[in-house]
Amino acid sequence: MIGFATIATPIGLLIGLVCGLVPLAAGVYYKQIPVGVIGVIACVISGFACGFLGGVPMILLTYGVVLSYAYVNRQDPFTSRAALIDVTFEESRVEQFQRSMANLGNSIRGAWRALTRNKAGFLGFLGLTFFLVVMVFGPLFIKYDGQAHMERRVPGAFAMVAAPSAEFPLGLDWKGRDVLSHMVHGGQTLIITSIQAGIFATVIAVVLGSLAGLVGGVADQIISTIANFILTIPAFPLLIVLAALVDLDSGFLLAVLFGVLNWPTLMRAVRAQVLSLRERDYVQAAVALDLGLWHIIAREVFPNMVSYIAVNLIFTIRIAMYSVVGLVFLGLVPLKEPDWAIMIFTGRQQGVLFLPQAAGMLLSPIVAIALFQLSLVLFARSLEEIFNPRLRAGV
Amino acid sequence: MTALPVTSAPPTLPNDPKTAPTLRQQWRRIRRSYLFKVIVQGLVTIWAVTTLTFFMIRQMPGNPFQVRIDDLMTRQSLTYEEAYRAAATIFNFDPDRPALLQYADYVGDLLQGDMGMSITRSGTTVSSLILRYLPWTLFCIGLALVISFTLGIVLGLAIGYWRGTWFDNLVTTLASIISGIPDYIIALLIILVFGVQLGWFQIGQSRGGVDPTITPALSVAYIASILQYSFLPILIYVLSSVGSWILAMKNSTLSTLGEDYIAVAQARGLSQNRILSAYIGRNAMLPLITRLAISVGFIIGGSVIIEEMFQYPGLGRNLYIAISTRDYTMMQGIFLVITAAVVLSNIVADLALGWLDPRVRLDKGDEL
Repeated sequence: MIGFATIATPIGLLIGLVCGLVPLAAGVYYKQIPVGVIGVIACVISGFACGFLGGVPMILLTYGVVLSYAYVNRQDPFTSRAALIDVTFEESRVEQFQRSMANLGNSIRGAWRALTRNKAGFLGFLGLTFFLVVMVFGPLFIKYDGQAHMERRVPGAFAMVAAPSAEFPLGLDWKGRDVLSHMVHGGQTLIITSIQAGIFATVIAVVLGSLAGLVGGVADQIISTIANFILTIPAFPLLIVLAALVDLDSGFLLAVLFGVLNWPTLMRAVRAQVLSLRERDYVQAAVALDLGLWHIIAREVFPNMVSYIAVNLIFTIRIAMYSVVGLVFLGLVPLKEPDWAIMIFTGRQQGVLFLPQAAGMLLSPIVAIALFQLSLVLFARSLEEIFNPRLRAGV
Repeated sequence: MTALPVTSAPPTLPNDPKTAPTLRQQWRRIRRSYLFKVIVQGLVTIWAVTTLTFFMIRQMPGNPFQVRIDDLMTRQSLTYEEAYRAAATIFNFDPDRPALLQYADYVGDLLQGDMGMSITRSGTTVSSLILRYLPWTLFCIGLALVISFTLGIVLGLAIGYWRGTWFDNLVTTLASIISGIPDYIIALLIILVFGVQLGWFQIGQSRGGVDPTITPALSVAYIASILQYSFLPILIYVLSSVGSWILAMKNSTLSTLGEDYIAVAQARGLSQNRILSAYIGRNAMLPLITRLAISVGFIIGGSVIIEEMFQYPGLGRNLYIAISTRDYTMMQGIFLVITAAVVLSNIVADLALGWLDPRVRLDKGDEL
């Protein structure tokens, strides 16, 4: 989530446009103009959203997709459309590059098909896209309303909170501020912290799990003992204690803390999988062929775990969001406004929980968090199909 | 959390009943047995958690002792030394003692079954407080667990058996939706939608564990009040956990359906009810029993947020209060109880599977 420095600025838009030239040129050259145009749109959006970090990878992806439509694989005479006479097995550097790009494009198209096939999963994907779009582009249209507005006070009213109206679609909060602006600006910290926390936990789990599975011996015993130990302590109360111990002033620290506490479950699964994969015939064959440790890990072992790890990452992000919102809800983490969780916390603290007109202020963050979590769960299903070709073929 | 693999022999069966084993042989047999290993591991874990929490919570900012001294100085206008001595007698420990010696004292007391006095609630022992709050959590979450487990088993079995029907699709969708929403979000939604907007119930009245105006007795009114106050927490626990039980039971049922003995039972012309209950249901339940036993351990602590939200007088809320008021001994006590419960339930889950599933038991015998 770095690279948001150029988020939604004219520079980002420019980066996106420049990046979009590549798929457009490719599209025109290979006479695949509709695909090229889609590539331009993708590049512009991602460049606008993430600057170089979004634009440059998107060049590769869209170029690959455009190429995959036009590419004729000369290495494979049986499935390619080239006449057998034209086949040459000599391949220049450029052709080799083109072939790998076309393969990349093919796998992207396969992933997209898998994504759209599962209706529930696609719904989850759309939900996540919606949240990301609002998070990144929403601030362009809606200014953050951070000041108390005494002038909006209705004479004789008991509190500043107001039900939704035409001017303020989600109502006003306890300081008379526009709830909609808080909704648009308040998701970033929470979502980014949760994703960071999920990534930390997953990385620790995968590294330690592979280590324990591959190295074994003392390292395995030490890691497993620590994992058992952490699993025994109730996670959320421990997080409360540690949140008081560490002076939490940023979401990043909270994410690190969460990662340190939540790796054991996945670590055990990864370790078990590595142990069982190590004994499989194809891995043994790779060992016998002396293909090198890196090749064995990257090409034989990892592809078999990536589906499980990706799904687990999604669920860890979910639990992380649960913990972060829970901590803020109990008032234990001094995160800054605007934030969805803080909206719920102040709503409860200011005693507007039982006011009917506060529904806009309280229900908005609650529904947003519930929908985000739901989208994650639904998306996890599609993710399983994308990374697991066996499931894809089975449908 | 998965069950530990069951590896070695049951401890009590003597190999040869004719020759009485010597003490030494018996000791060796016990030492090699699986149960012994698991119990020792559990004790080590409990000790490690106790040690960790002991030193960790003393690093938290804010010292309850200092707070009490300040309090005594301002309220009873004592000098610092007087307040210090008064506080020391109240808390029954010397805060200037090195932490290691305090730790030694604590462990020594613990071995004699004494968890010490609560720091913020002077004059009450930690064990009496835990005994007072534990039943509330056990009742509330225990009942919720029984309900959601039963519902999950029945619904999961049904949608697994009649898979692909509209009922299956409906229940599966609902279960995955509801299992994806955090429990406190469900609670807030229920409070806001049904309590505030629709006005079906008075939220203010359902805070606490029981109506304080009714005298505690084994009367209908008292029990009804307890049930009324615990209704919302139980409903929320059930809603937030039933989805995962349903999905787990469905998966387990689907994998059981592929077994040969189901096909044989169908070929023998057994009635559908008998196949469903005795052949599919029983076998599909086995992995869930393990999960149930493990989750029993975790429920002891209750849900901190839900109990805090409804001011329910359970262990979870008191753990939260103890943490926020820095009640060292109370925190240690509750962490100890929860850890012990988790360790114990893991052992029980392990043994229960071996007891329920003869296949696991046979494996044990083979390795003997």
